[in-house]
Amino acid sequence: MSLRNTEEAIFKNYISKQPSYNELLDEDGNLLTHWKEFFETYKTLGHEEFVNRNQHLQKLLQENGVTYNVYGDPTGQSRTWNLDPFPFLMNNEEWKKIESGLKQRAHLLDLIFKDIYGENKLIKNGLLPAELIYNHAGFLRECTGIPFKNKHGLILYSADVARSPDGNIWVLNDRTQAPSGSGYSQENRAAMVRIFPEFFKEVKVKRLSSYFTTLRNTLNSIAPSSNTQPRIVLLTPGPRNETYFEHSYLSSHLGISLVQGDDLMVKDNYVWIKTIAGLEKVDVIIRRVDDIYCDPLELKEDSQLGVPGLLQVIRAGNVSLANPLGCSILENPGLLPFLQNISNYFTGEELILPTLASWWCGQPRELKYVLDNLGSLVIRRIYRDTATSSSIDASSLSSAGLKELRDQIMMKPYLYIGQEKILFSSVPSYVNGNIEPRNVMFRSFLVSNNGTYEAMAGGLTRISSDAKSFIISNQAGGFSKDTWIISSEKYKSEAPPKDLQQAERHQHNDALPSRTAENLFWVGRYADRILANARYMRTVIQYINSKEGFSTDQDSHTEKVLLKALTHYTYSYPGFTDENNKEILQNPWGEIYDLFMNGERTGGLRYNINMILRSADAVRDYWSADTWRILKSLEEHRENQQTLKNRHKLINSLDNLITSMVAFIGLNRESISREHGWLLLDSGRKIEQSLLLITMLQSLMTQDHGASSQYDMMETFLSSNESLVNYRYTYKTHIQMSLVLDLMLFDNQNPHSLIHLLEKLKVHFEALPKGPTIYELHLHEKLVIEAITILKIADKKKLTKSDSETKEYKHLDELLSKLFSILLSVPFEISRTFFKHAQSQKQLYSSDIV
Amino acid sequence: MIYNISHKTKYTYNEQVSLCQNIAKLFPRNTDIQKCIKSEITIFPEPDVVNEYEDYFGNKSVYFSLQKAHEELTVTVNSLIEKQKDETEISLIDQLSWEIVKGMLYEPKQEYFEARQFIQETGMTSSNQAIVEYTLKSFIKGRPFIEASENLMQRIFKDFKFQPGFTTIATPPSEVMKHKKGVCQDFAHLALACIRSLGLPARYVSGYIETVPPDGKEKLVGADASHAWFSIFVPNIGWVDFDPTNNMIPSQKHITIGWGRDYRDIVPLKGVIFSSDSHKLSVEVDVRRA
Repeated sequence: MSLRNTEEAIFKNYISKQPSYNELLDEDGNLLTHWKEFFETYKTLGHEEFVNRNQHLQKLLQENGVTYNVYGDPTGQSRTWNLDPFPFLMNNEEWKKIESGLKQRAHLLDLIFKDIYGENKLIKNGLLPAELIYNHAGFLRECTGIPFKNKHGLILYSADVARSPDGNIWVLNDRTQAPSGSGYSQENRAAMVRIFPEFFKEVKVKRLSSYFTTLRNTLNSIAPSSNTQPRIVLLTPGPRNETYFEHSYLSSHLGISLVQGDDLMVKDNYVWIKTIAGLEKVDVIIRRVDDIYCDPLELKEDSQLGVPGLLQVIRAGNVSLANPLGCSILENPGLLPFLQNISNYFTGEELILPTLASWWCGQPRELKYVLDNLGSLVIRRIYRDTATSSSIDASSLSSAGLKELRDQIMMKPYLYIGQEKILFSSVPSYVNGNIEPRNVMFRSFLVSNNGTYEAMAGGLTRISSDAKSFIISNQAGGFSKDTWIISSEKYKSEAPPKDLQQAERHQHNDALPSRTAENLFWVGRYADRILANARYMRTVIQYINSKEGFSTDQDSHTEKVLLKALTHYTYSYPGFTDENNKEILQNPWGEIYDLFMNGERTGGLRYNINMILRSADAVRDYWSADTWRILKSLEEHRENQQTLKNRHKLINSLDNLITSMVAFIGLNRESISREHGWLLLDSGRKIEQSLLLITMLQSLMTQDHGASSQYDMMETFLSSNESLVNYRYTYKTHIQMSLVLDLMLFDNQNPHSLIHLLEKLKVHFEALPKGPTIYELHLHEKLVIEAITILKIADKKKLTKSDSETKEYKHLDELLSKLFSILLSVPFEISRTFFKHAQSQKQLYSSDIV
Repeated sequence: MIYNISHKTKYTYNEQVSLCQNIAKLFPRNTDIQKCIKSEITIFPEPDVVNEYEDYFGNKSVYFSLQKAHEELTVTVNSLIEKQKDETEISLIDQLSWEIVKGMLYEPKQEYFEARQFIQETGMTSSNQAIVEYTLKSFIKGRPFIEASENLMQRIFKDFKFQPGFTTIATPPSEVMKHKKGVCQDFAHLALACIRSLGLPARYVSGYIETVPPDGKEKLVGADASHAWFSIFVPNIGWVDFDPTNNMIPSQKHITIGWGRDYRDIVPLKGVIFSSDSHKLSVEVDVRRA
């Protein structure tokens, strides 16, 4: 099949721009066999439909919240993951060779790792220069001499490979510290299968799932104890990390807990996870935290991402890490020139995948070569840090830049290697509506498996952001592609394998990690705060609108009280209570818009939306796809509303927000499967509702403002608490204070009443883990019981009697104040009891050396 | 000569601390001229976990963890040390110049290989142009390594003011060089930065020094302190110590605890607690002839 005849119009562009090795066509311009089925399906689908599907694909990624955080991005931290609908195809024969080359390399690196931290034969026998290791910041002296219990020290290995113009495959980077991308690969595949099912019917693509099954089994098998159900956690630096999405995705895909450093602690030479039911032993940590950050006691002192004392547990052999600490020494590109000799030494094997010609500048001859040929080489630092780019294409530098680079190398030559530059092959990519060539690099993933390594049959393909560039990085805005290994067998569906499902079920029974609990609690609080604030704001705006033009003095008095109440209610002082700015009550719109839109304004709606998104994001594996879509729509609220300064649009927007929040709250019960999680979320909601209810009563109903005002206020109060209809239905009479109080404070049948909320809280608390003694209640339980009792024994008649002089409902005010102060302590006590991760860590030093 | 050393560290917290983990490196090593007869650690309250091990440089390390709520922590190490006569006569006549030493270290010998680990600068011993220039005034062409180092020690002693409180653990040598002030640890780090900047091996030594009270006065209990100096590696001779704070070659009055590339490798006592509140620290060191 000649490509020119079939999709000429589209591919003309692609072919003419082709600068390097062509992944599609042979020398005669004929399509390579392994692409044939793809293009046949593509043709059947039609370009138009392909483009159309791509829109669905992008939408799906966005809705699923697939993101990649870009450091220092002023527009907000997360960016939707870029996936090119055009996959990267590789035929099985070629893949087999790459696979065996990668396995061989993983073995070799494993041997080097164990040697460097163990017997040290390579350095002693002159196969590795000592300076290359000892000058590398990734060599952790604290990790030497720790015995390796498993066959492999290196559990996970990733390599970036690319093809040079002559068709050879080269390894560009070795990633051993905390290799990322396997989760994105899986997500890419899942999205592609969903959007382009035709391709997977016709094209024989290898599945990825076996890799994850093996990964799960391997994690189980490296557990130090003989526990058949070891507790495995994924340690993440947190939501601000660039690949946080993947951490959360992987932990949920593997059915393990996602934790941050302060979720864990060291005690009795074991690692424990803090849960709301106490401490639980952790056996295996799959880590995404760089090694020097993992233990502030022995490694980087100011790290807040690690677990103090972790290395002691590792030395005691009571926890296994994938990968072990110290692995980043293997990411040292200075090793490259020595790999073949080391392989000869250990196994006598030729490297199947050759390494790019590289010269380590720590040797005089090599240094001279690099300096003499500087302009044509890529210069790399042996240690990678996020602050500076570790790779420099010297040919792109000005003469001043070259001189600077030369000086840097001369100053500390051992920190640099020079490497031959290759042009990566290119593949068709769908860019800006065209199909264009892009340079391609492919990351593969390997995991230790019973003494050998298994490679994912696919991986993460990444392409450069423009046709000429050979620097490929997600930080620089590159795109990813799904990677298809074309075999002779048909694609089978990617259902999670059996043991994964079992594992998942098991993990769901584990106690809730305390950070997760806290985030869920706060999601609950913010959800009701947003809902209640939006409802009240809407009611106030409607009141102002309804009176506009023909309002009496009484009405304008009511309006002022309502506005002041808005400030109390949202806790956004001084706002309408500002004694120095009386103007604000005359013309309230500026303040109302600000409360609605200003994300920096504490207590404002936008601010609270930001807060709920932050908490929700930290526990994203708790939300179903539908729930997540609603949360994403809140984000859109945030983005779209900046220019909105129109009352009707404002009300419309509040309506939408309220609908979203109601939907979100409604979905939680079904989507949160873990009982304690839901209890905490709902407790957060109930506490928030109780406090808000009291605040509103205090600001609207503890003062007699005259009959007409009072009527309006009670109506506002009932309507913004979704209870006006209920009132009318229950009492079938006009609004009276004593009945309003009955309905909203004392009527247990009314789900919006304070007594109902408190009784629910009491029941929730009983279902949460108990304290150390069975017969002693937690303090937050006692507080709720106290509040219930105070409410129940209140003298109701007195509550509706106002003082004839001050016009205050003194007894009501006292009752509400008392309840408020009791209930305000509840969240604090919950936090003290359950959220144990919140303790801050501090260094002790005895630095009196003179 | 036999010394009794008592080193007591006390932390008082402002609030109860439920978990406290520490690593102590306070146990004098055996050296050519020093024998550690005993060295015992006493921790109060009683720790729940104690792990004893040797670190990468062979220094004895004790990890301990207190897992019950406590308001103060006292760590006392009592050591008994015997100093032996220094037999090595260092003759300046047939000594190697620093340039020759630099080249020799790359010969394949185990001890050279060990010494080369102490050439690379660390965060605490980084150099700059000013430091290199300062160094080269002592390291003149062809000068024996030992003589140049001794000269460097003397110049640091003369040019720099001993001033506690001016620097912190985090003050880099460039700042010390600029202000010409600091304490023993700064002078040791500076000397290391100097020597390493020329590609020569030198290590940081942690220890004690016996202080002598002014004439006629009784020595105050607990008036001593931890001390630090530096040591260079010379082929055929081994490690040779220099104390730039006191301008002397350590011998009978210096007691070595251990060594590393810099302070960070041999922090006498460090720990992590979970607390949001502050704490008070008091240290008493006593070095006495037995």
